Amino acid sequence: MKGKKWPRPFVALLIAAMMVILAACSGGSGSDAGSNPPSGHTGGTDTDSQAPSEQKGEPLKLSIMVPAFSTELPDKSSPVWQRLEEYTHTDLEIIWTPNSSYSDKLNITLASGELPTIINVGKEPSVISAVRNGAFWEVGPYLKDYPNLSQANEIVLNNTSIDGKIYGVYRARTLGRMGVTYNMVWLENLGLEPAKTIDEFYDILWQFTYNDPDRNGKDDTYGMTVTKYTGPWDIMQVWFGAPNKWGEDENGKLIPDFMTPEYREALKFFRKIYEEGLVNEDFAVMDPAVWNDPFINGESGVFVDVADNARRLNNSMQDKEPRDKPYTGVFQAPVGPKGHRDLPTSGWSGMFVISKSKVKTEEELRRVLEFLDRLNDVEMKLLLGYGIEGRHYDLVDGYVVPRDLDASLKKEIEGFNQLLMFLGEPEPGYEETEINQMINEVWEANEAIVVGNPAEPLVSEVYGRVGQQLDNIIGDARIQYIVGQINDEEFDAAIDLWMRSGGEEYIQEINELYEAAKAH
Amino acid sequence: METTIHTTDHMKSEQRRSRWAKFKKDLWLYILLFPGLVYFIIFKYLPMWGVVIAFQDYSPFLGVFGSKWVGFEHFRNFFNNPDFFRLLRNTLILAVYDLVFFFPAPIIAALMLNEIRVGIFKRIVQTAIYVPHFISMVIVASMTYVFLTTNGGVINELVYMITGQKINFLGDPAWFRPLIIMQIMWKETGWGTIIFLAALSSVDVEQYEAAIVDGATRWQRLWYITLPAISSTIVILLILRLGNFLDTGFEQIFLMTNSLNRSVADVFDTYVYFVGITQGAFSYSTAVGLFKSVVGIILIYGSNYFAKKLGHEGII
Repeated sequence: MKGKKWPRPFVALLIAAMMVILAACSGGSGSDAGSNPPSGHTGGTDTDSQAPSEQKGEPLKLSIMVPAFSTELPDKSSPVWQRLEEYTHTDLEIIWTPNSSYSDKLNITLASGELPTIINVGKEPSVISAVRNGAFWEVGPYLKDYPNLSQANEIVLNNTSIDGKIYGVYRARTLGRMGVTYNMVWLENLGLEPAKTIDEFYDILWQFTYNDPDRNGKDDTYGMTVTKYTGPWDIMQVWFGAPNKWGEDENGKLIPDFMTPEYREALKFFRKIYEEGLVNEDFAVMDPAVWNDPFINGESGVFVDVADNARRLNNSMQDKEPRDKPYTGVFQAPVGPKGHRDLPTSGWSGMFVISKSKVKTEEELRRVLEFLDRLNDVEMKLLLGYGIEGRHYDLVDGYVVPRDLDASLKKEIEGFNQLLMFLGEPEPGYEETEINQMINEVWEANEAIVVGNPAEPLVSEVYGRVGQQLDNIIGDARIQYIVGQINDEEFDAAIDLWMRSGGEEYIQEINELYEAAKAH
Repeated sequence: METTIHTTDHMKSEQRRSRWAKFKKDLWLYILLFPGLVYFIIFKYLPMWGVVIAFQDYSPFLGVFGSKWVGFEHFRNFFNNPDFFRLLRNTLILAVYDLVFFFPAPIIAALMLNEIRVGIFKRIVQTAIYVPHFISMVIVASMTYVFLTTNGGVINELVYMITGQKINFLGDPAWFRPLIIMQIMWKETGWGTIIFLAALSSVDVEQYEAAIVDGATRWQRLWYITLPAISSTIVILLILRLGNFLDTGFEQIFLMTNSLNRSVADVFDTYVYFVGITQGAFSYSTAVGLFKSVVGIILIYGSNYFAKKLGHEGII
């Protein structure tokens, strides 16, 4: 009996022991697979190929994290992906992250310490603290060695700098990109002209709301759609003369925009258009993901955002019901009491930083920078922006003419434009359709009227610590003021609270940094 | 004599042997338990060491061992923070609402289902009220928006037709807490009935029959038979619920927060996110989270103690 029974617990113990080992192994190998082998691998290939610029040896293994604006994203079977790897001689992993949750994912990635080779980041507090902890390479001194990267704009580079040093290659954007998109059909129905002044802008909003612009005999339209995203308010307040985030007071000291009287004027205007129903009533709770819908569905007729939205909105409306003439038009910021002003973009939308945990040596760094440089070649810009010639677009007289793509072809090129930095020689663009012409005109005219943010390159310690709370205090108060929940005194009280919650220190710090930068 | 001595000796060795025999008999049960044990050690106990970062100035690039030790500084900062009382107040009010309005809901629903005698109808209702449990909170939040928005939300259109006014459910701070509780009730009541229905099914039918013969009314049967039968289940679930008293659920609150209702919507869970993740203050937010857990443990032991005092079975 005993002899027969013994093996059973023995076997059981064996199984149990194996389970422990298995569990331990899978736990360990999981993190290993994440970090060590790939970087060790790239290190190996790197020492093999002595001259990094020559395309030989194994392709460089790279991972890159960028935002995605679509859920239909390509995989390695896409010919665009294959051509990209071929051209840059890399084995590329693109980590597309939905734009709406990009900052969350970024913060968590930073907190985990497990970084991809290249990440697209802004100047969020978490990024700044990561930079200070030495998570990324300082690339500033290297840029001059690369034909495309060396053409980066000094001012924009300065804007992207952290503590005076350049840590990333920025993705360039048109500086004067904003514009007011309107429903052209409605404007024609009402016999109106694009607005030149704020009063005319108000008139358009009012007539779009109350004069039945779609001529269907029903009171079913309103002026402008705004969402939880505060961009439109930020743009419009600059028309009124409010500074771009920071402005100088009479003593030459920097003060935040909301402490200026012009800001309050703009707020009063917002409150008025809200009260009169020219803006959607539920903007404070509306999800930005559905921002386009009311405009496309003909419920509202004005859209204050980047000018190129006119093209996107028109495309969506053409898809619903084709029309020979465009549905949308775009005009430049109207002239306000303090002259003609508009909010610029900062000239960049994120920058590519290179993680030190993945890229160990300077040679490797050079190979990664070379990859980024190659992405700025005209061939690559065309590939990433428009796809493959003869498959996704045609080149006619030096202009790009996109083909009508079905879903599967569209998916092949989706998302790659997020890898574009637009440095170096400009690539061919779209042909001059009516809308593109309008957009380009607005962009060009904007260059003259954009208002810079003097504090843009400054990195504040205080803001890194309590910035989110500070932003919430004023951001909330602004929305509450617009919808009429609080009055002027209560808005002042919110400013007081802002000052007490660290704002006072923040202003002082920014001014010190500003003085130091000016003296420099 | 000899025989008695012999028997006690025999009994002792018999006892020892029987313990071993018992172990041997249940051996496979122990082995089945083993993976679960390993799971708890690896995924529940080992990560607990992570709380040490609450006492450090933690930086992910320096690691747990490289970061500076600061003791209780983060806790002091937190308790002295002007936000503390607002957060505590918001969290407590939501927790109390949850306990008062949501906790009894599955019990009432289960009792009502129990009274239904038509089997098929009962089963249909049961399934129908389970379904919302499987819907993601994100979807629930968007549905809430679609129904309640002042710009063409169905419910607000209805309210407008009846009263001639719209109610700003989503933006008005006064509506925030009722909205949260209603969402939870809609989503989780059905799911919560499962345990109570299981407890109810164990009630002896003869007791009801005897009560009917004695002329007890429906209410009396409910009060004297059904409720006492499930009271221990209720107490245990209540103790467990108290352990999570301060867990208001991050996802839901985060999704329902906007600029207009933040004053009542900020709770510990969302605060940990804003401060810890968006501002990179990992140590500080861990301290806040740890504080919450300590409150949870105190509440579990406290309520367990009182439950035992009142003659119920506890969980510890």
